[in-house]
Amino acid sequence: MKLLSKLTLFIALSKLLIVVLFVLLLPSLVNYASFQYSNYYLGQQKKKVLSVIHKNGIDYYLQGDSAFASYTMLKEEYISLLPAEDNHVRDTIETARRIVGEDTLNYRILIHQLSDKNKNYILEIGKTTSTINQYNRLLQRFTLYILIALTFLSIVIDLVYTHILLRPLKKIVQTKLLNRKFPFKEHSLPVKTSTTDFQFLDQSLISLMEKIHEAFEKEREFTSNASHELMTPISILQTNVENMMMEENISEEVQEKISSMMKTVNRLKKIVHSLLYISRIENDQFAKSETVNIFQLTGEIMDELSVRLETKSLHFANRISPEINVTKVNHDLFFQLLYNLINNSIRYNKENGSILLTDRYTPGQPYVLEIKDTGIGIKKEELPSIFNRFKSGKGKSEGFGLGLSIVKSIISFLGFEIKVASDFGEGTVFTIIIPQDMIETND
Amino acid sequence: MKVLIVEDEKSLSREIKLFLEKAFYLCDKAFTASEAKQFMIENEYDFILLDLGLPDNDGLELLNDTKKMCPKASYIILTARGNLEDRIKGLDLGADDYLPKPFSLLELQSRMQAITRRKSGNNDPVIEVGDFNIDLNKRSVRFEEKEIELSKKEFDLLSYMLLHKNRPLTRLQLSEHIWGSFSDDDNDSNYIDVHIKNIRKKMAIHASVDWLQTVRGVGYKIKL
Repeated sequence: MKLLSKLTLFIALSKLLIVVLFVLLLPSLVNYASFQYSNYYLGQQKKKVLSVIHKNGIDYYLQGDSAFASYTMLKEEYISLLPAEDNHVRDTIETARRIVGEDTLNYRILIHQLSDKNKNYILEIGKTTSTINQYNRLLQRFTLYILIALTFLSIVIDLVYTHILLRPLKKIVQTKLLNRKFPFKEHSLPVKTSTTDFQFLDQSLISLMEKIHEAFEKEREFTSNASHELMTPISILQTNVENMMMEENISEEVQEKISSMMKTVNRLKKIVHSLLYISRIENDQFAKSETVNIFQLTGEIMDELSVRLETKSLHFANRISPEINVTKVNHDLFFQLLYNLINNSIRYNKENGSILLTDRYTPGQPYVLEIKDTGIGIKKEELPSIFNRFKSGKGKSEGFGLGLSIVKSIISFLGFEIKVASDFGEGTVFTIIIPQDMIETND
Repeated sequence: MKVLIVEDEKSLSREIKLFLEKAFYLCDKAFTASEAKQFMIENEYDFILLDLGLPDNDGLELLNDTKKMCPKASYIILTARGNLEDRIKGLDLGADDYLPKPFSLLELQSRMQAITRRKSGNNDPVIEVGDFNIDLNKRSVRFEEKEIELSKKEFDLLSYMLLHKNRPLTRLQLSEHIWGSFSDDDNDSNYIDVHIKNIRKKMAIHASVDWLQTVRGVGYKIKL
């Protein structure tokens, strides 16, 4: 999951959690608050009554009667003053039912005992619970709305800020990682940001890429130098041997020896050549800008190899679809790739054997090319190592040499994929898989 | 024909000279770019063989300069750098051919001959070999008036051997010419036998092919 999405999700969920918690707590909170408030209110009312009694005497209420009661028009509040027994009761606030007028209603009641002229009275001040709750609901709803609005606003602010905060990261990923191609030839500018972590990341990436580029250039230079250093002596050796061969007064025996020397020099030359070729491929020294028709390419290769088929009386069938073109490849490398594979299938074939080239292509799927032979096959335990350099099969006079290592390098350079399946003694199938976006068809 | 060998590796230069002189070329050797320039001021050359890795100047720069000094000469670049860009640059600067080191001297001579043929127009003589006439320009082999059909590779092989006639050629030298450097197959040289067998079969119907000799343990030669 992307960092931005993670943060967004986290912000939204954490805010939601807070809102839910608050909504769950809200009724009891509001209830508690309003009870506290009504207790306070009742207390205030009591003080007013007491101060009136203090100022005007209790008869101000009793008017000669033994008790007093009064209530508001809708019976939301009442006050009563009743004579009481002697026992002293402390101030209490309770919720209880009272019959006021002809209605029985639930009240929050403050009970206070007072004495006047040696008489004890009980003062009750009450307020209907429904009035209290009426405000409760209003208060709850109001609080909820404000809360939702605030939460929403804070989410928006958080998201905008996160987005702005993470923008340099996105830019770093885009300019430093996604749109860069090995070996990072072009120098890239640092991304502008005030976040030091991002600055550090950016700087590290830049210096890392520069290092890679330097190493790559060094390797390229090395290949070129090594090539020069190795090829020059071989070159001298070869020309020497060739001139010796031309001497007129040499015996047949010497001539044979020179010929065998020439073979050895040639072997050395081929090995060095192949190693340099591989390193040049891995060093990205070939352009990938050509379009190749596979059918034509296999035709060219078979022109080169036809005499070899004859020698072993091999049957060859080319069932490649003529309309398939592969784009963004290097013709010479592609040629070398198929040449090595087909050449191997001839070399390791049996007399009167056969070689079959087939392909499969459905638009929207990768293109598949198969080279199937009825040769000596490869042992199961040797299959994993056939593409390794200088790995040769046990008990065989000739190794796989570097031919398949070259194949592997070309495959990965061109962005193909290769698979091999083999039945020992029965034959081998090499499968080349070419990404669908490199395929074009002639119509 | 006069050849200037611009090559700093003395023993290589010596071998090239030895070889070319046997093929009746006149050779001068220059080991540095400045020496090469001196030679070019004093003489005219038909061929300039140019190594790219010279001690005092890059061969490609030298090529750029000397193209003006010796415009008639044909230039062949010899290099061990094996860089693809060098090859393209060299040919762009007007080199006639490019031969990566290590090369076979036979291949060098064959390239030189091809350039001569290309530059002089189609005036190669038709070569008589035994009772056959071989026309290198038309790439045809005739017996009296009858054309003998050879495959492309068979003709290449025959003409290569003709160029280096009276000289034993190893299977390896022949296969290198036919298949170039993209093959690293030790068996390559054995397939030369098949080609030779086919050439003999096709031609022996008409007349003797004794001139195409097998050199035991080595390869083949055309003896004229």
